Amino acid sequence: MGLSRRIREIGRIAEPAPPRPEGETPPATRLLCGSAQVRHVDAGSCNGCEIEIGGAFGPVYDAERYGARLVASPRHADVLLVTGPVTRNMADPLRRTHQAAPEPRVVVAVGDCALNCGLFAGAYGVAGAVADIVPVDLEVPGCPPEPAEIVAALRRVTGR
Amino acid sequence: MSAIGPALAAAGALAAAGSACGLALPERARPAAVGACTAGVGAAGLVAGVSALRGQLWSASLPDLLPLAGVHLAVDALSGLFIAVCGGVTVAAAVYGIGYTRHGLAGRNVQAVLPLFAWTLVTVPTAASVSTFLLLWELMALSSLLLVVAEHRRRAPVREAGLWYAVMTHLGLVLLLIALALFSARAGGETFTALRAGAGRLSPAVRDTVFVLALAAFGSKAGAVPLHAWLPRAHPEAPSNVSMLMSAAMVNLGAYGLIRTGFDLLDGGPRWWGLLTVALGAVTAVYGIVQAAVATDLKRLLAYSTSENLGLVLIGVGAALLFDADHHDELAALALAAALLHVVNHAAFKALLFGAAGSVLHATGTRDLDILGGLRPRMPATTALFALGALGAMALPPGNGFVSEWLLLQALIHGLAAPGVTTAVLLPVAIAAIALSAGLAAAAFVKALGVGFFARPRGSAAQRAVESPRAMLAGMGLCAAACAGLALVPGTLSDALGRAVAASGTGTVGGRILVGGGLDLRLAGFTGRLASLWIALALAAVAAAVPAVVRSRARAPRRSDAPLWDCGAGAPTARMEYTATSFAEPLQRVFDDVLAPEQDVDVTPVRESAYLVERVRYQRRVPDRIEHRLYLPVLQLLARAGQAARRLAGGSVHRYLGYGFTALVVLLLALAVTR
Repeated sequence: MGLSRRIREIGRIAEPAPPRPEGETPPATRLLCGSAQVRHVDAGSCNGCEIEIGGAFGPVYDAERYGARLVASPRHADVLLVTGPVTRNMADPLRRTHQAAPEPRVVVAVGDCALNCGLFAGAYGVAGAVADIVPVDLEVPGCPPEPAEIVAALRRVTGR
Repeated sequence: MSAIGPALAAAGALAAAGSACGLALPERARPAAVGACTAGVGAAGLVAGVSALRGQLWSASLPDLLPLAGVHLAVDALSGLFIAVCGGVTVAAAVYGIGYTRHGLAGRNVQAVLPLFAWTLVTVPTAASVSTFLLLWELMALSSLLLVVAEHRRRAPVREAGLWYAVMTHLGLVLLLIALALFSARAGGETFTALRAGAGRLSPAVRDTVFVLALAAFGSKAGAVPLHAWLPRAHPEAPSNVSMLMSAAMVNLGAYGLIRTGFDLLDGGPRWWGLLTVALGAVTAVYGIVQAAVATDLKRLLAYSTSENLGLVLIGVGAALLFDADHHDELAALALAAALLHVVNHAAFKALLFGAAGSVLHATGTRDLDILGGLRPRMPATTALFALGALGAMALPPGNGFVSEWLLLQALIHGLAAPGVTTAVLLPVAIAAIALSAGLAAAAFVKALGVGFFARPRGSAAQRAVESPRAMLAGMGLCAAACAGLALVPGTLSDALGRAVAASGTGTVGGRILVGGGLDLRLAGFTGRLASLWIALALAAVAAAVPAVVRSRARAPRRSDAPLWDCGAGAPTARMEYTATSFAEPLQRVFDDVLAPEQDVDVTPVRESAYLVERVRYQRRVPDRIEHRLYLPVLQLLARAGQAARRLAGGSVHRYLGYGFTALVVLLLALAVTR
């Protein structure tokens, strides 16, 4: 009883869909036909971006209504959502994750650290930005980027 | 002209020749000569048994061979069945044993005793008087004991197993001695003919005592709970060809003894005999297979499975006793036929399984499933043979174990219509026990095959394994052929089973139990029909058709080689595989209250801080609970009594003389008072 009443009381809390984001879409996304299975890879993040990704897939921003869905293995994934500067320990696993994802695959680098190592640039344990390890198709700047920006990037992948 | 007498004489002569070869020949020629002679003993037994199953009778009396009593022998179809089973197993084990001669097993003592043991197996069912039976029975126990301890110099557990076996088999002998001595004293004669004639004159109390004692004695030989403790010790520690003989042939003789005493000599009894036997069988079946499902030692698993299968046989025998007491002759005959067929099936697949386990032991030197694995590419023939045996043991079609368990279930289900409250309660429980043990057997043998033979090797021993010698494979091949024959055309045995059941004095005279054409098996008195061959063919057709259909439907895939996805962490190692322990862990949790496993977690912190752990050691043992709760207290009590009795024997001669004098006076007084 309690649960159904709460559902009724709260109602729909997802924000109204903003207009379709501008910008070119990576060529590989055309084959996805509006549905993207996303594997998130933490390559050495401070977990700030992870909180925002959690928000992006939560009920308010609700990235799933645009066709993006988080999956548990790169074998199931079309899109890799990579966060953080790539540490030495994660460089090789990231490469292998990239290999394990079936083609066509899209790599989305999320956050300043993923783009240019951000605060951690030049640190001992950092192997480089994501683009130094695997080819990147889309970039989401910000430290951390807002959920809306992550959703916008994913909408460019799904085209919805 | 009966073929039985000459065949049995040939078996005796070959056994003597085999023993002589074992003693006299040099070590290089010994195994082959002894193996040939032992196989001859088995073949002669097989000939004798099959002729008896075809309806020939034979009896002999040799009054001068044994002082006072003489030797009486007789063979009917019931003994014929057991002689044939023992003979068949002996042939396979003897051929197998020619190749299985590692670690000093070609030694003089072992090779000399082996033909003798084989001969006793074949001749025990021919005994037709109490003294002959007991003599052969004890010879069988002693020769098998000598073979069990063959490797006692190499491994300490063998000595312990030998001690357990020696004590328990002799306790069984004492019970049997009391039972049969009481029986023959009251019946007025010690030949089986005299016992049969005198059984009717016995008072109910004497009959009950004889039956209960015989049930305990023969039950302990058949590995019935709680007298099974020797079986999972002795069978794994014996050399594998001896394990084959013991587990596939010797334990059957427990069932033979029970059927002979219960049905033939005592001619059935009150209903509680049957209820007791069914209950004993059900407990044995479930307990045995639960222990097998959690065992990590391959041969111990098989030994517990032997206990389970003999439990199923006991259920059949008990149900037959029960129906016999209620005068449902057809049902009784059906249940007994199911029990006898299960004896045959169990002998075939268990000899095969023990042979394959011995082959693994021969190649790797270990029986621990947790460090085996990966044997399929290294030992393809052994793996295939083990898989065939496991299929039989799993009681799933098209395995041979399925046929007899189906028959047993048919007997019990048709028996549900029989009146009586105890019947109405016990029979469904027995049916449930059979179903449960069949399910657990599937788990146990999937574990044995999957963990032991598939995946990657977990230890260096398994990595270096090579296929066994040809003689061993040939021995196993014989068993495999028997398994396949029994699974596909069980109908060929229906006449023989009918004669064996009739010889035990159950069922209607001349009535048929099973109607078997070559291709299917039908119950004569009831509705029930099994076409094993068609089931097997249908399964094979489906197994061939499904991949073909899938392949033809699927679009031709673009083939690309990719490395295994390992979560980015590095290639999986053999340590990540399922082990026997981890596979059985859920089962062990389910049966926690029955098994009472002992767990021990030992955490060692680093010296500087209690919060930083240096090492965690996790240990788990699944001891035989009955052994722990029942045997150890008795053993401790005995040890304590022994310690206390030491004070009585202080070493003084005067005191010992005093004991003698006192005992004599007490005895005389007792005689004077009671006379």
